[in-house]
Amino acid sequence: MSLVIGVDIGNSTTEACIAEVTQGEVGRLASSLTATTGVKGTPENTTGAVTAVRRALEVSGRPADALATVLLNEATPVISGLAMETITETIITESTMIGHNPDTPGGEGLGVGTTVALDGLDEVEPGTTVVVVVGKGADFDDVAHLLNRAFERGVDVVAGVMHGDDAVLVVNRLQRRIPVVDEVSAVEKVPLDMLAAVEVAAPGRTIRTLSDSYGLASTFDLDAEQTRKVSPVARALSGNRSAVVVRTPAGDVTDRRIPVGTLHLSGSGRTLDVGVDGGADAIMEAIGRVAPLSDVHGEAGTHVGGMLANVRDTMTDVTGQPASEIRIRDVLAVDTMVPATVRGGLAGEVHQENAVALAAMVRTSRSRMQAVADALATELGCETIIGGVEGEVAVRGALTTPGTSVPIAIIDMGGGSTDAALLDRDGAVSAVHVAGAGELVTKLIDSELGLEDREAAESVKRHPLAKVESFFHIRHEDGTVQFFTEPLPPHVFAKVVTVTPEGLAAVPVKGSLESVRRVRREAKRRVFVVNALRALAQVAPQGSLRLLGSVVLLGGSALDFEIPGMVADALAPYGVVCGIGNVHGTEGPRNAVAAGLVDVHAGTAAGPAPEKVQRQAAS
Amino acid sequence: MTAPGAVSTESVRTLSLREIGPAERGTKPDEVVIALSPAFGDPFTKTIVDVPHAEVIRQLLAGIEERGGSARVIKVYKTADLAAIAHFGAKISGSGIAVGVLSRGTTVLHQRDLARLSNLELFPQAPLLDAEVFRMIGANAAQYAQGQSPKPVPTRNDQMARPRWQAKAALLHLKEFDCIDHSRNAVEVEPVITKVD
Amino acid sequence: MTAVAPRSGASVQTSKRTEILEARPVNLDGFVEEWPEKGLVAMESDYDPQPSVRVEDGRIVELDGRTRDQFDFMDTFIADHAIDVDTCEDAMATPSVEIARMLVDPRTSRADVVALGRGLTPAKILDVVKLMNVVEIMMGIQKTRSRRTPANQAHSTSAKDNPIQVAADAAEAAVRGFAELETTLGVVRYAPLVAIGLQVGGQVGRGGVLTQCALEEATELDLGMRGITAYAETISIYGTESVFVDGDDTPWSKAFLASAYASRGIKMRFTSGTGSEVQMGNAEGRSMLYLEIRCILMAKGAGVQGLQNGSISCIGVPGAVPGGIRAVAAENLVASWMDLECASGNDQSFSHSAMRRTSRLLPQMLPGTDFVCSGYSGVPNKDNMFAGSNLDTEDYDDWNVIQRDMQVDGGLRHVREDVILQVRNKAARAMQALFAELDLPAITDEEVEAATYADSSDDYPDRDALADLEGARSVMDRGITGLDLVKILERTGFGDVAENYLNVLRQRVSGDLLQTAAVLTGDFVPLAAINDANDYAGPGTGYRLSGERWEELKKLRHVTSAENPEEEVV
Repeated sequence: MSLVIGVDIGNSTTEACIAEVTQGEVGRLASSLTATTGVKGTPENTTGAVTAVRRALEVSGRPADALATVLLNEATPVISGLAMETITETIITESTMIGHNPDTPGGEGLGVGTTVALDGLDEVEPGTTVVVVVGKGADFDDVAHLLNRAFERGVDVVAGVMHGDDAVLVVNRLQRRIPVVDEVSAVEKVPLDMLAAVEVAAPGRTIRTLSDSYGLASTFDLDAEQTRKVSPVARALSGNRSAVVVRTPAGDVTDRRIPVGTLHLSGSGRTLDVGVDGGADAIMEAIGRVAPLSDVHGEAGTHVGGMLANVRDTMTDVTGQPASEIRIRDVLAVDTMVPATVRGGLAGEVHQENAVALAAMVRTSRSRMQAVADALATELGCETIIGGVEGEVAVRGALTTPGTSVPIAIIDMGGGSTDAALLDRDGAVSAVHVAGAGELVTKLIDSELGLEDREAAESVKRHPLAKVESFFHIRHEDGTVQFFTEPLPPHVFAKVVTVTPEGLAAVPVKGSLESVRRVRREAKRRVFVVNALRALAQVAPQGSLRLLGSVVLLGGSALDFEIPGMVADALAPYGVVCGIGNVHGTEGPRNAVAAGLVDVHAGTAAGPAPEKVQRQAAS
Repeated sequence: MTAPGAVSTESVRTLSLREIGPAERGTKPDEVVIALSPAFGDPFTKTIVDVPHAEVIRQLLAGIEERGGSARVIKVYKTADLAAIAHFGAKISGSGIAVGVLSRGTTVLHQRDLARLSNLELFPQAPLLDAEVFRMIGANAAQYAQGQSPKPVPTRNDQMARPRWQAKAALLHLKEFDCIDHSRNAVEVEPVITKVD
Repeated sequence: MTAVAPRSGASVQTSKRTEILEARPVNLDGFVEEWPEKGLVAMESDYDPQPSVRVEDGRIVELDGRTRDQFDFMDTFIADHAIDVDTCEDAMATPSVEIARMLVDPRTSRADVVALGRGLTPAKILDVVKLMNVVEIMMGIQKTRSRRTPANQAHSTSAKDNPIQVAADAAEAAVRGFAELETTLGVVRYAPLVAIGLQVGGQVGRGGVLTQCALEEATELDLGMRGITAYAETISIYGTESVFVDGDDTPWSKAFLASAYASRGIKMRFTSGTGSEVQMGNAEGRSMLYLEIRCILMAKGAGVQGLQNGSISCIGVPGAVPGGIRAVAAENLVASWMDLECASGNDQSFSHSAMRRTSRLLPQMLPGTDFVCSGYSGVPNKDNMFAGSNLDTEDYDDWNVIQRDMQVDGGLRHVREDVILQVRNKAARAMQALFAELDLPAITDEEVEAATYADSSDDYPDRDALADLEGARSVMDRGITGLDLVKILERTGFGDVAENYLNVLRQRVSGDLLQTAAVLTGDFVPLAAINDANDYAGPGTGYRLSGERWEELKKLRHVTSAENPEEEVV
């Protein structure tokens, strides 16, 4: 009988499983979990590994000197990176347009007239049709008073543009209701003495005239050529409840594509350049054409180029390999939207611009596990063995899940990369790592919801949503209502919240629960589901998912409340049985490798004997 | 000021609170109740930093009106405790939302289901509340009443407010306590704001 | 910085000098007229009661003009628990002027005035201190202070609740000489991590420093019982029944809480101060000092060893009325005279004027108190989560110079830069090791580097607050105690810090920190009123700044060498 401990150093967690091994019998005593220290496969892992071992010993109540053997997994460093490039930009010239969406514009309808400042109103000839421009600091009572005086003089004030949040207040005090757009922060830049149109739609509706090219043509009496020129204005305004368009000599709105550099892809003996501004589909298509990818470079001075160089540098630091030998073997590009401030805007207009998010991953074969093993042996004073090929042990651990059989594949979705491995009927294991996982999802949620708060995005990713409908009840995202006997905390009142183990946490967004939920699920689909399929296709026999049999989800994301379901749904059409791992029927999706190491050591590993071990690199 | 159309706001407004009856429970589902303390408007006329009470009321009402809400103003005589004033207002508010205001300016946004000492938003540092802040408080009150979740009004903080204002605040608080009339029920008032040039 | 600009003058023309005076920072401070009927008065009020006491059957039946049937619960508590029934009638018969002179006269021993004080009622005590001017009050403090050696206390907090910052600043504060360190939170749930930072940083800076974390009472007690903190201070008491009741408390509930601490050998003191009752509008027409004297006697009656007083968070109120700062000095005197440890305020932002900040400090600093500040801000005031202190890190050198100028021990010393960097770095590294072992969100090398050289929370990389809060919760859920932290420090190469921490924890077994005014020296010897009793008896006696300590305080950042005037003393 000997006391054996299996230690699995993963990208983010280090797990240990302690057992007594007696002639091929394994008596598991305890398991433990701690954060991995340093990059997986580097000497920095020793601290975390020691902690995991010590914890497991403590839980099992065995003294440290009773430990006979420590089993380590063969782990190689994986480094991933993430970058985002905004690829479109909206520019307004000559203050042609005000297209923000103030919460409460005033009045309703369309008014077309010449722009005039409020304090110039007294000099306007009676009978003139004007749009009044009200600057900062004006009081709503005074403004209403001056406008009513102008009406009485016969000045035809048909619309207003204001700095303060006063539109409803002013319109409520006028003898005549006119459309007024407010909260225009740079109102002093509105060109005076120009023909302008102001349109406000009824609450819950959107403008019809200024958001339509021919509507603009009728309003400003434009010819066909001019109409073509202003059509970007119409497009930029569509979906708004209110808008202002000023007709200036050379005013324009452009929707420009930003050149953000090129990716140089190499693979299959070819190289290919693809512009990042081409979008995710173009990038992924190009990657497909050079598959298997052997390396990627980005243009210096761009976010993507910087990220790729950074990934390479980090790997150089970690392994000591020269940068020239480090190859980026996988890239995942995802289209996304980012809210960006419109250049030349007068009211801080924000436009949803197109962006591309890119995840890259690099892996080396140069493991420094021997150094970790040596340090562990010294630290713990016992034999340390590096055992098991990466992927193989995990897949054999997964095979202890009740109801599984070979061929069996696993997917482990982590923070930076997604791993897959397959064990076929002959005992052969193939493994693959692809770029893109949890952190990319967080980034997409963060940018698409405009949170600029990684913690809030992380919370949206990890927890289901609910809407606080009163101090005593919430409606969960599945529609069920939950009541409380004590009032909920005031800071979540009327908010969309995440339901966390620590209680409800407000999500700082204006949008509805449904829109937050859509962003979250879409982000997970575009990363986790896409990657699960991509990775499995690479290990599947003849690349056919139909030949996979069972797929077991492992690791932290297998504990997510919806990812397993989303992946299972995506795999269902291929006739694949997909579920959450339950190692040895007790451990859940955790501890597959640590337990597997012990099993292999004791000669009780599940599945066919490893006859012809074949290792597939990250291809 | 060079911005086009800017006008000066030098004129002064005064406030009188015309009593229109006992403060009763409202029925409008989106109304906000503004609950004033015993000395608000009379005998006091301005906050600790000289914001006229007329302006406090005008801006609160403007914030509510701009957001499409409606408001009732009540005056409470039996207590000068801000939480109690606001909570009383919330209980008779058709929406359950009330703004409580002390003479010195301290303000709270309350909701009837909350515990008295809890709140939706609290503005404890009266010296930091100006007309602009009162406008934002009114706007948020209207949005809460409409079941929306506005961004809380940014709170300001000033550590040196203590040496400058703590004693004056205590003095105003004592004066307000002196105006408590235990025999007088809360009344609904119509704020009459008169512009004096 | 202030909310509004200096008050503008009237529209009539003013002199250039007036303009200059108007612009002086002191004119940003607020001053108000007294209103004695409402208690807005420091200590001289016609509305305070006249002293009286009557004993029947070994029981006080009349106190300061009220008979037992008229007592409120403060009167009852004081009459039953704070006043010595056997001596009170004689003591009360002693003319106030006689007692006041005894307090000042060096030939009357501390023991004698303390014994006499045990028989006095609040109104009598007030009557006595009203006779004393501020210099006489300082004389009284010099004599009645419990502990012979004066000390000081620091705040170490972070605007971002960053536990690494708290640890580094605690280490620096400890090495600079503070005997106690106090922290509190912006986000309360961060408390366990920040309290750990304070404790570990403190023990890195100087073994034996005592720490506490100001929180709501249950969590504060929990952290104390786990040995994550070493003492407690923020247990507030008030001078009127109505204010007490407002806080859902009574003197008995506070006394019960005090005994909970005592049961575990944990040092604790109450907190009170002039102005709190009138600030809440419930002064019941009594002067601020009269009500504070009731608090002091309540604390004494509850059996706690000490009191933090000196107006504390209400300092703007006595600070604005005539004679208010004299009253604040008088309340410190009364606490000392009643034989309580006195942590004497100077701990809240007090004035825009540097001159006024200093003058407010002198009545405590010159005679020396048990803790001159009951929190000197060991972080820049913008990071001070107690809403700013009268002194902060920017004032370190000024403080050291004043100590040297006056030859007065204010508890601090100048420390060389390399020593400060070393302890800050070590504190951050100890936290790094501790967090790693406890599976808390990792502390990066970059954070350790930042902690070493930082001034404020702005100089640190942002932490993942969500992950930290989860970590904080797990510390509580897992039942981590001070002993667990000691073990981890020991095995991660911080054996000396572990040793220091363990020595602090041992005190709760011996109970030595329950003695009045106890602090721990660097050798873990408790210094308290029983083994370091104040023996001041006039010139040439008591604590004198001399010998090694005086040599230490002669050092400043820049002192020109006498031997070689081209160089500075290092």
